[in-house]
Amino acid sequence: MNSKEIIDLIKDWRVALLIILVVASLIAINPHFENGQLTTNLQYGLDLQKGAWLQLEFKSEVVGYQTDRPVADFAGDVKNLTGADILVLDNNKIEIRKLYTQDQLTPIFQQAGGTITSFEPGVSKATADDVKRILDNKINSLGTRDFRVNTLSGLDGVTRYIRVELAGVSMSEAQNIVGRQGKFEIRIVTTGNQTEHVLYGDTITGVGNPSQEPPGSGKWGVAFNLNDAGAAAFQQAAIRYGATTDPNNHNVMMLLDNQTVYSAPLSSELAGNLQNQQVKSLFASTGTGNSGLDAANNLEIHLRAGALPVDVSVAGSGSVSAVLGDHFKNMALLAGILALLTVGLVIFYRYREPAIVLPMIFINASEIIILLGISVYTIQLDLATIAGLIAVLGTGIDQLVIITDEILHEGKVPSPNIYQKRLSRALSIIVASAATVIIAMLPLALMDLSTLRGFAIITILGVLIGVTITRPAYGRIIMAILSKPQ
Amino acid sequence: MGLFSYDVNRYTPQQMVIIPLILLALALISVGYSMYTTGLPVQPGIDFSGGTAVTVFTTDSQQQISAYFAGYPLEGIEPGINNGYYLKFGNMPDAQLQSLTQKITERYPDAKIDQIGESFGKTLQSQAVLALIFSFIGMAIVVFISFRTFVPSVAVVLSAFADIVMTAGFMNVIGLTLTLNTVAALLMLIGYSVDSDILLTMRTLKRQGKLEDKLAGAFRTGIIMTSTAIAAVAAMWVVSWWGQVETINQIATVLLIGLVFDILNTWLTNAGIIKWYITRKGGALLTGGGIAKTEPKKKGGK
Repeated sequence: MNSKEIIDLIKDWRVALLIILVVASLIAINPHFENGQLTTNLQYGLDLQKGAWLQLEFKSEVVGYQTDRPVADFAGDVKNLTGADILVLDNNKIEIRKLYTQDQLTPIFQQAGGTITSFEPGVSKATADDVKRILDNKINSLGTRDFRVNTLSGLDGVTRYIRVELAGVSMSEAQNIVGRQGKFEIRIVTTGNQTEHVLYGDTITGVGNPSQEPPGSGKWGVAFNLNDAGAAAFQQAAIRYGATTDPNNHNVMMLLDNQTVYSAPLSSELAGNLQNQQVKSLFASTGTGNSGLDAANNLEIHLRAGALPVDVSVAGSGSVSAVLGDHFKNMALLAGILALLTVGLVIFYRYREPAIVLPMIFINASEIIILLGISVYTIQLDLATIAGLIAVLGTGIDQLVIITDEILHEGKVPSPNIYQKRLSRALSIIVASAATVIIAMLPLALMDLSTLRGFAIITILGVLIGVTITRPAYGRIIMAILSKPQ
Repeated sequence: MGLFSYDVNRYTPQQMVIIPLILLALALISVGYSMYTTGLPVQPGIDFSGGTAVTVFTTDSQQQISAYFAGYPLEGIEPGINNGYYLKFGNMPDAQLQSLTQKITERYPDAKIDQIGESFGKTLQSQAVLALIFSFIGMAIVVFISFRTFVPSVAVVLSAFADIVMTAGFMNVIGLTLTLNTVAALLMLIGYSVDSDILLTMRTLKRQGKLEDKLAGAFRTGIIMTSTAIAAVAAMWVVSWWGQVETINQIATVLLIGLVFDILNTWLTNAGIIKWYITRKGGALLTGGGIAKTEPKKKGGK
């Protein structure tokens, strides 16, 4: 091939696109040496680096019901009979935040004047999102850099499990972080910068979801309840330090782990009430609009001091040490390189022609590079994903063989016209088989079978890139190589 | 040429399908028995039955390890080379589980530990079975849309089905359990297996020429495809076995078994049915639109 042909080849958009993508991927992966060690931007999952994961199961269920009574009365009775927190989701579903079997609930529902229409262990999507936010916040506040919290929802929106992945920590550390409760404290401003202790979080008996007070006013805040001791301490402190008579100079402050998370004066109404009586139900307002709602969401988490609204149990867990993570990483790299080499050998055995074999290997390697490049922004690499990557390498070379054999039909080089027909014929086979792979992998990519998502996604991506980018480019390259005078 | 010689034109359709049919029947018995006893087509591994899996590298002997874990439900020790071991524990109460975790990290601080609770396993199990069913149905739909003819489509779907069932049966024979990893591999197999089937069907149905030539040509291409796939997977298998990478090893083992069965099912089952279908119709077959044109035939290849 002379230089003009090479330039022509590169100018072809299929080849140009492939080259651009490979270069872009290499930039994204950014392999470089740091302290004598090869480092990249690739994100590793928990198999390939030190870390731990916890699969938590909600001790709660979402129950469908039917009743002739007003919903609030019915739910109130269920709440009293079960002793559990109840969340009415809509007119036919409630969330019971305590572990019950359907058989145990049936008589309770009967007594409350209703019947069970469906039973699903887990929590509603809203509660699951709450829990996720609480965990996110909690882990974030500890400065853990690399972590993920994923909810695993069924098709009906009921979430039974939540998965927490923490990089760089051991199993026991992970359990401590997730189970950890913060120290919540309410203090009151006495004079100037001075504050005095009022109560700790253990006297808070319940925290509501962010709500508007009065309803529909757009003024957000969080309601919370104190037990008798808490209410007494709150009243005494408010009176003693003068907050009831001069609220604006005696802010009530909330602290989580000694960090101020909220500070506001008593409302004049509350100040008046506290003069004469203990108040158990309080409302901390956070402002209006979206910023008010955001602040309310955060305050709710702080009030809970990292406690989850629903009890959880550990349904599964795992950890990898740094040593094993590195070992697996090396093995994965070795497996990939060895796979590429053996595939090259088999191809060489078949075609005995470096001019065909080398482009094939090059195309195959470029596919892996592009996939890794995409993975930097999309998925974490774990062992299953690597296996998927190598499997993609296998199917990839298969399809290059289809193209080569189709074009090389009867061992002679076709005219450009016939070449086009043969290439499109080969591509029609490839597209059909690619479609089946994608369909076969789709359930895994969509279902939350936790660890296998990466495997499925990488396979689907690999097939898509193959069909749209690398195969067409290979068709063009092999044509240019074969049409040289033999 | 070829890695082994097999003349795809030598046998009658009946002769071709008899071996796979017998194997399929045997595999169905094994899979059916497993379904009956465990509810899954392959004996469930810890991902589905619950339990704890531990990978350790240690100079301790197998006896020392099992002595160290006396009192815990240690169900198996799989030694690798390089002093690697893969330990499997059954389900146990929470308290015992916590003490086990401690005991492991005390002596083997670098171990990889994975624990799945029984109820979570059950959930995974039903999801995995659903995934397999959806995948298979999806694959069948794509195949039917691609060919729009009944018998060839059924042949492809049947070979893929036979692939999966034979692989599952073989897993039962060698004691490889069903885990999330092996489920993924089985799904991958659907894709791999259909690859060469589609090639065979497209080449023989949607193209003119003598059936013998088309079959031989398809075989030449198809067998090299499966060989390269086997080569890639074998490399993965060797490295993961040598380096005690259980996740990859499970996937590679299933893919290897499946690819070998794929050769059988593509070139005996599927080719047999296609041959029967075409000769029954009298050989003149011109389905498919724009891609049925081909050049005048010359004998032989490379």
